[in-house]
Amino acid sequence: MAILGSDFRRDLGTRSYPMLVYVLTPLVALVLQAWLPRLLGGYAWFDLPLVVTVYFALVRRDPIQGTLMGCGLGLFEDALTHHAIGVNGVAKTVVGFLSGSVGVRIDVENITIRLMLTFALSLLSSAIYLFIYRILLGLDLEWSWLAELMKAVGNTVIALVLFHLLDRLQLRD
Amino acid sequence: MESFFVRYRNLVVLLAVLLAQIIGLAMQVRHTDSGRNLIDTKDGAGVRLLRLWADSVVTPPERLFHGSKLGMLSLWDNYIALRHTREQNQELQKTVDRLRLEQAALLEDAKQGQRLQALEDFQQKYIYKTLAAQAIGSSGSDQSRLFTIDKGANYKLERDMAVITADGIVGKVREVFPRTAQVLAINDQSSGAGVILETTRTRGILRGSATGKPQIVGILADQRILPGEKVLTAGGDQIFPRGLPVGVVEKVIPDPERDSFIDVIVKPAAHLDRLDEVLVITSTEPRFSPDQQQDLATSEALKGAEAAAIKEQQKASQIMAERLPGLTDPNAPQANQAGTPAPGTAAAPGQNPATPATPPVPKLLPAKHPDRYTQGPATTPLPEPDDAAPDGHESQPAAAPESKPPAKPASKPPAKPQSKPESKPVQTPDSVPPHLGRDR
Repeated sequence: MAILGSDFRRDLGTRSYPMLVYVLTPLVALVLQAWLPRLLGGYAWFDLPLVVTVYFALVRRDPIQGTLMGCGLGLFEDALTHHAIGVNGVAKTVVGFLSGSVGVRIDVENITIRLMLTFALSLLSSAIYLFIYRILLGLDLEWSWLAELMKAVGNTVIALVLFHLLDRLQLRD
Repeated sequence: MESFFVRYRNLVVLLAVLLAQIIGLAMQVRHTDSGRNLIDTKDGAGVRLLRLWADSVVTPPERLFHGSKLGMLSLWDNYIALRHTREQNQELQKTVDRLRLEQAALLEDAKQGQRLQALEDFQQKYIYKTLAAQAIGSSGSDQSRLFTIDKGANYKLERDMAVITADGIVGKVREVFPRTAQVLAINDQSSGAGVILETTRTRGILRGSATGKPQIVGILADQRILPGEKVLTAGGDQIFPRGLPVGVVEKVIPDPERDSFIDVIVKPAAHLDRLDEVLVITSTEPRFSPDQQQDLATSEALKGAEAAAIKEQQKASQIMAERLPGLTDPNAPQANQAGTPAPGTAAAPGQNPATPATPPVPKLLPAKHPDRYTQGPATTPLPEPDDAAPDGHESQPAAAPESKPPAKPASKPPAKPQSKPESKPVQTPDSVPPHLGRDR
């Protein structure tokens, strides 16, 4: 893993995308996340908003942007459930912040690093979710780490395809 | 100070966003008297607004996707797979006509049952009105087994209405928006339903789990509960009507927290992972549609006609019984009407002569080989020198039907051989009334 100075990474410049991509990609991710589980039944092992958050935070190399995007998408996901609003929000806020912070310091062009980051951040998101639910809020929640592991793997596989597709949409000088 | 915020602005933004969300979370959780924390089931105005926004954003594309899928399916179903439909339609129409009448009869039974239960002060809900709805979306999370249907307050849906399919129960309406509603499935961790096992009649509470398989918790260990047993709704939760299928017992495991208790894992009857069309029970009060009322009237009229036919039949058989010579003795004296006993049926000692006599006994033909057991004076055998009875005993055969002990040996043995020749005259054309003979 190539660890670089933050100034150097910033000097490399951040990627930019058409405004439509910024708007539509999270929206499509949210809609598909709500719709696909109906088709796939119990095999919906993925979290598309998380993958999108990680991607934009990484390539934009901006922790604040990652924080806000993670917060927005997480709250949106919470609003579609019957759980308290903010659990996913907090988890994805942290994930977005960390992705943006890591993007400043490491070479995120490497696909292996991206995938490893996605896998690790998926598990971290699940752990934060569990922490908030059980410890912070003191609520009962059954938990299956196997399911979360499968979800992390699913996110990684989706990231492999999605990151490549989104890379092709970036604006070039 | 300014340099601090500039230098640590990333962290400051992160902390501010986290703090705001954690405060928001704290406001949604309620501490109960039992020491447990619960999410407030009644959302506050702000939370409800957020859910409404999210639903408004997600629902239109979901409707579009769902509509496209239905369009593709209907293209196949409505234009390609329609061979032999006309014949099937005719057959089905006949079946519908028959079933409508049967349903009307069942509705009558249901009404009667309700009246009886009202008398017994027994509360039970019946499904009388449902609304079909399409499942168009989900929460997208394993931790929240919630799905969205395409009907909402515009169809007068309300919270806590039961949602079912033809296979079994699905869940209950949790949140109602103007055009959509959220349904909490029975396999969600926070859902609950009162259930009963069909064979063992064991009652329990069905709860969801992280794995998505509902289970009945808190049941005392019972060897009779076996895999395959049907689970039905118990009707005590005021949401699901009683007797709806829930699923079957998949396996029984010991309760990990309490000894001598078991958890029953249930395989849901409805396909909760692949729901398409569901029914929302909007009313459990008896409200019959005009068609149903008309069917009821038809059924009652038919029942009336049937009763009249049965009455007519009974009347005809009564007339026939009166006219048939073999069944009644035309020569029998009217002992009952006169109040005096017939000569042959002398009153038993101690019996009031004024009391009505027993119904007329069919007259028996004379026996070919009479013996001392043969009934009646005409059939009294000639006294033989060895076992000649005294005079006082001659009247006993006549009185035999009145006294129980001798009645059995006196009447039964000759009845069999004599019944055949007795029935023969009934079959002769002379003895059968002309109008009954035609019917035959």
